[in-house]
Amino acid sequence: MHGKLFLKIFGSYLVIAAIAIGVVGFLVGNQIREKLDRQIEAELFAYARIVELAPVREVAQRAEEIARITLARVTVIDRDGTVIAETDRDALAIGSHFDRPEIQEARVRGKGTAVRYSQTVGEEMKYVALPIRKGDQIAGYIRLARPLVEVRRSVEAFTGILLRSFLVILALSVAAALFFSRRLTAPIREMERFTERLRRGEAPGTLLIRTPDEIGLLAENINYIVEELQKRIDALQEEKAKVEAAFSSAMDGVLLLGIDGKIETLNQGMRSLIGERYGEIAGKTPLEAFRNLDLQKALDQHRASGRPVSQEIVFGEEPPHVFDVAISGVRGVSGSEGKTLLVFHDVTRLKKLERMRVDFVANVTHEIKTPLTAILGFVETLQEGAIEDRETARKFLGTIARHAERLNRLVEDLLTISNIELGEMRFCFESVALSGIVQSVMHILHVKAQEKRIDLAAEIPDGLPPIRADRDRLSQILINVLDNAVKFTPEGGRVRLSAAAAGDEVLLRIADTGIGVPRDEIGRLGERFYRVDKTRSRELGGTGLGLSIVKHLMAAHRGRLEIESQLGRGTTVSLYFPVFRDASS
Amino acid sequence: MEETRRTITHYERELQEIKQNLLYLGALTEKAIENVTASLLERKSDVARQVIEGDAEIDRLDTDIEEQCIRLLALRQPIARDLRFITTAIKINGHLERIGDMAVNIAERVLALNEEPQLKPYIDLPRMAEIAREMIRGSLDAFVREDCQLANSIRRKDAEIDTLNEQIFRELLTFMLEDARTIHRALLIMQVSKNLERIADHAKGIADMVVYMVTGINVRHQWPGETPDDVCDTKRQQP
Repeated sequence: MHGKLFLKIFGSYLVIAAIAIGVVGFLVGNQIREKLDRQIEAELFAYARIVELAPVREVAQRAEEIARITLARVTVIDRDGTVIAETDRDALAIGSHFDRPEIQEARVRGKGTAVRYSQTVGEEMKYVALPIRKGDQIAGYIRLARPLVEVRRSVEAFTGILLRSFLVILALSVAAALFFSRRLTAPIREMERFTERLRRGEAPGTLLIRTPDEIGLLAENINYIVEELQKRIDALQEEKAKVEAAFSSAMDGVLLLGIDGKIETLNQGMRSLIGERYGEIAGKTPLEAFRNLDLQKALDQHRASGRPVSQEIVFGEEPPHVFDVAISGVRGVSGSEGKTLLVFHDVTRLKKLERMRVDFVANVTHEIKTPLTAILGFVETLQEGAIEDRETARKFLGTIARHAERLNRLVEDLLTISNIELGEMRFCFESVALSGIVQSVMHILHVKAQEKRIDLAAEIPDGLPPIRADRDRLSQILINVLDNAVKFTPEGGRVRLSAAAAGDEVLLRIADTGIGVPRDEIGRLGERFYRVDKTRSRELGGTGLGLSIVKHLMAAHRGRLEIESQLGRGTTVSLYFPVFRDASS
Repeated sequence: MEETRRTITHYERELQEIKQNLLYLGALTEKAIENVTASLLERKSDVARQVIEGDAEIDRLDTDIEEQCIRLLALRQPIARDLRFITTAIKINGHLERIGDMAVNIAERVLALNEEPQLKPYIDLPRMAEIAREMIRGSLDAFVREDCQLANSIRRKDAEIDTLNEQIFRELLTFMLEDARTIHRALLIMQVSKNLERIADHAKGIADMVVYMVTGINVRHQWPGETPDDVCDTKRQQP
């Protein structure tokens, strides 16, 4: 870069200098040559005119003398051209000189000149000739000749000076070219480094070139462009960051299909939604990735209609995931035209809740309908005349009362649950000593246990820390669990309530020798209306809500509920309550 | 230059289309089996009828894929890998179509079974149907990913199905010996079981073809136990 520019500048200087010196040399050289030429010619003529005044014979005799004075070669020729006198002895042998141009010119016009290369002298010679007159007649000719060596030397000297000055100019122009090319390239090199940094994507800063010429303007423009560019890049990056943030942190899964129908991009949400099950799905078509018929049909539908499609699609089996998939075409975004956007919204939980709600309504209806049907049936029988028979009527009324009681229990249980779930149940947590509560609960269940000849007993060790609980709810929990234990334990069985401190908690354990629960159904025990043996439980007067209430109440107490069971051997329910801590301690 | 490139992409698109259609067919058959299993276990006759009606689409797709493959073979004269892919595709297509037919067979038995009270709670049948579906899904996964290991592991599952089939057969035999009135239903259930077993065989066939497609080694007539474990590490050979 630097060298090239230097050569260009230097070259142009050189050309200009060469042309100038050439022209000057040519013009001035000519001038010098002509001037000297004319001077010599005039001098020779002057001599010749003086000589011409004498008669030919005298001139011929005194030729040597004339030659010495005039510093010229003297030739005297008579009228016929015969050489009468010649100072240059080498030329003596030459015959007639009449045909020489200077002689001819002198004969015709009265004086003649010529320049010729002389073989004898080896130099250009200037010849001047004048006729010598005798009256009106030409008696002969006098010719003076002088070599032009002086002229040549003068011109040569001049050329020498020119050449020397050319060398000086050469040296000067090297220096000037170096200087100017430096001056020119320095800012250009600066700009080059600047744009190089820009190209590599580094922060280039600002160009510091403040010259008032074109380069300064260029630098200013570059600075402006870079500034604008940086602004735009910043704006774009900010925009991109926003989109990226929305795209990657969205909980919903997003898939972008390219024009070839293959998955181009997917966000983190999508990855976590589908998990590892499908392996790497980027670069595959949705059919290859998921092989989901419904998804493919929805995609085909979208492709055929061009309209957005939204559909619930079930993915996988164990456990199945339900996604609300919205498919739409990308439009109005340059570079993404014709691509397809799929948004996966996980509605699995929603579906499950919906299902539970529907189930709950169905269950409640069923639970209410059973006693109601019985009540209505007996009332009808009574109306149809059974009321007349006192004995039967009393029996029927007893049955009606029992069913009405059950309805009442059911409604109460439902209310309890709904109050807990709505957060409307008030709890009064305080320090509760277990022994008192257990005693009162045992008292309530004592009669029922005795009826079935069940050995019901509580073993509460002394020195247990008090627990943090609501008295009424605690007894409800214990009654529900013990009631279940008594209910599902056959006659002659045993139910034991024991307690122990377990770190920060107190463990209450209710163990029975009852019918037990199948292993894979233990997890469902807390569900509303879930019964292991439906008919039997209902016979025993359960609402199917007891354990569900216990579960809810335990959660409200910040306690835990664990159930272990062996089919046919018995069930153990473990209740963990937090130990009461005084706020001040 | 430009011309050649265009031709290649077009050709590749045709190959891609065959693959997509094949996977769509796979999804259809998977769904058919899922539905027919549901119709059997939940005694839903309308679902069984859907499966029977749905077979028309499977048959149409089967014909389409076969035509596509033959056209490609005739017009493009594919070699090496592509040739192996297309022959594999034709074979897998056939297997899938047969699986679809068997789903229809089962659906017909289910319709007959649903006319009568349930003979016994089904325990082994759902397990069989589950394994059969797993095998189809797994073999198609292996096809998509060109995963020889997966294909080989699918082939081994066939034994499980065979065991279950025999178990069901023995169980139903005792039912029939004890009570002649159960014979009709027991025979229907046996046919369902037999069809599931055949479906698993076809799934194994697909897996065989995937092994062939990836390695060039033919394992079709080997017991899965006979196949050396390192079959997938074997260097690919030209057929």
